[in-house]
Amino acid sequence: MSATTQLPATPTPPSTPAPYGAGRPAAPVRRRRSALRSERPGVRIAAWATVVVFGGFGLLPVYWLLATALTPRNQVFAYPPRFFPAAPTLDAFASLASNDALFGYLRNSVIVSVITAVLSVLVSAYMGYSFSKFRYRGRRSLMYLVLASQMFPQALLLITLYSVFSAYNLLNTYTALVLSFTTFTLPLCVWMLKGFFDTIPDELVEAARVDGASRLRIIHSIVLPLAAPGLIAAGLFAFVRGWNDFVFALTLAGPEKQTLPPGLVNTFIGEASTAWPELMAASLVVSLPVAIAFIALQKYLVGGLTAGAVKG
Amino acid sequence: MMSSQTHTLEHRKSQTPPRRLSDGQFAVLLLLPGVALLAGVVLYPLVAALVTAFFEQSLVLPGRTFVGLQNIVEVLQGDFLRLLGQTMVFTLGTTILPFVIGFALALALNTKIRGAKVLRGLMLIPWLVPGVVVSFLWMWIFNANYGVMNALLQGLGVIDDPQAWLAQPGTAMGAVILAKTWQSFPWMMVMLLAGLQTVPGELHEAAEMDGAGTVRRFFAITLPHLKGIVGLVLLLEFIWNFQHFDIIYVLTGGGPAGATQTFATAVYETAFHGFDLGRAGALGLLWMVLLMALVVVYVRFSEKGEER
Repeated sequence: MSATTQLPATPTPPSTPAPYGAGRPAAPVRRRRSALRSERPGVRIAAWATVVVFGGFGLLPVYWLLATALTPRNQVFAYPPRFFPAAPTLDAFASLASNDALFGYLRNSVIVSVITAVLSVLVSAYMGYSFSKFRYRGRRSLMYLVLASQMFPQALLLITLYSVFSAYNLLNTYTALVLSFTTFTLPLCVWMLKGFFDTIPDELVEAARVDGASRLRIIHSIVLPLAAPGLIAAGLFAFVRGWNDFVFALTLAGPEKQTLPPGLVNTFIGEASTAWPELMAASLVVSLPVAIAFIALQKYLVGGLTAGAVKG
Repeated sequence: MMSSQTHTLEHRKSQTPPRRLSDGQFAVLLLLPGVALLAGVVLYPLVAALVTAFFEQSLVLPGRTFVGLQNIVEVLQGDFLRLLGQTMVFTLGTTILPFVIGFALALALNTKIRGAKVLRGLMLIPWLVPGVVVSFLWMWIFNANYGVMNALLQGLGVIDDPQAWLAQPGTAMGAVILAKTWQSFPWMMVMLLAGLQTVPGELHEAAEMDGAGTVRRFFAITLPHLKGIVGLVLLLEFIWNFQHFDIIYVLTGGGPAGATQTFATAVYETAFHGFDLGRAGALGLLWMVLLMALVVVYVRFSEKGEER
């Protein structure tokens, strides 16, 4: 605590908000770190208790998912259940691999999610570019309308969307799913890409125009390559949106065009005795692409999602 | 004939200036695909769904008859209040519980305890798995005969006999709320952790030197700093949960005896199992009016808090 008398080596940056003890100079960074390294014992105990209780709530179900997927089928119907499977086996995964219906759902999921990702990136890139680099009347209102469109309940939209797609003979097609999924990715993707385009200097666009490049050419060969990380992030997000959807695929598509989430419900739920190890193994397989996408996205998504919110 | 046509086209092309569209027109053109999608998939279906509230209309039969307020009156005289109550219980439960858990974990993992970084990553798993997987997992945990929840609670002496958590009207809603809470708390944690990191450490140190304890500093520094983000996450989570469908539908289908039915599952059931679009539209109309009213009240309320 002798450091209290020490004068700060660096002046307070002017941007530091100081509603509390304003005028008091900020302590140097070196000292702050050492002060934080030693938490008070009470704080440390409280932190650990929180982690044990709520962390257990978060992670024990994950363990149970893994453990059940590795449990032999004849051991799963036992009470009380075994917390550690006696003879771990990959039988459940092998049995999934021989299920042709599941491969059909998987193929549908991949097709629909990939097309959704591509279409969503295209549509939101054009829209985001328009919002970012042009000024016109109604621009801000439209931007907020796009954002607000995710507020409307999907169960309600579906009751007439079903009739719309039916009228155009689009029920039970990839088209119906792709169009729906793409639309619901727009709020996040458009706003995210607008943010990326905002960071591209207007001078760059102007310079290309002076050089005689057409406006479309500027977008395709100058702006989009510069925003590539944003396009990838938006595409991955759109992929996950299509991959995870349940209610649209359940309602608008029949078994031949259904994706994995409703496909798994149809395959496993409602039978006399659910094959739990297989269902848990399938759950792991479905979750895997999302986890991979997230790890790839992490930098953009969490930053992008929280940045605006924290500032506002 | 062919050649003359191409010739005239080319001729015309060469005459027009290189930039045929103004900037404004070009900007609008870029918006068109997105606007068309939003209009076709969100705006039109929404308006059309709300309009069906005033018609007698079936999902499978063509044609409809105007019936005025009859659907709305019928819904209000039916189990509307029960539905409203259950929707509010679900929405408030799945907003407050994840907030408490997420906030506690954010505070705990914002300290310098060992493993905080790894745990921040691991805690995101429940948020990453698809909604149907959340449902499958909790369906298995709550299983009446072989469920691990029964084994755990019996072992701790909380219950005497195994319970059919999802099949009893008294416990089903709680079970569904717990499953949804498990999915939502990581997002709350991430947002609040990001918020916590904007609180200047200098303030805490200054207050500590002035003798303020951990609890006092939490209420005097941390909480005021997080006011904006807390308001935002609560509002967003409320809006999302007010219309949540997947987990309820897969876990209980709104049952047993309608005990976990919310507006979302009730509208879906009425339209796609009962084929009654008019009634579903009426439910949806009341649902949207309520949501809008609640959001307006919330925003007004939090603006007033800001002024103080």
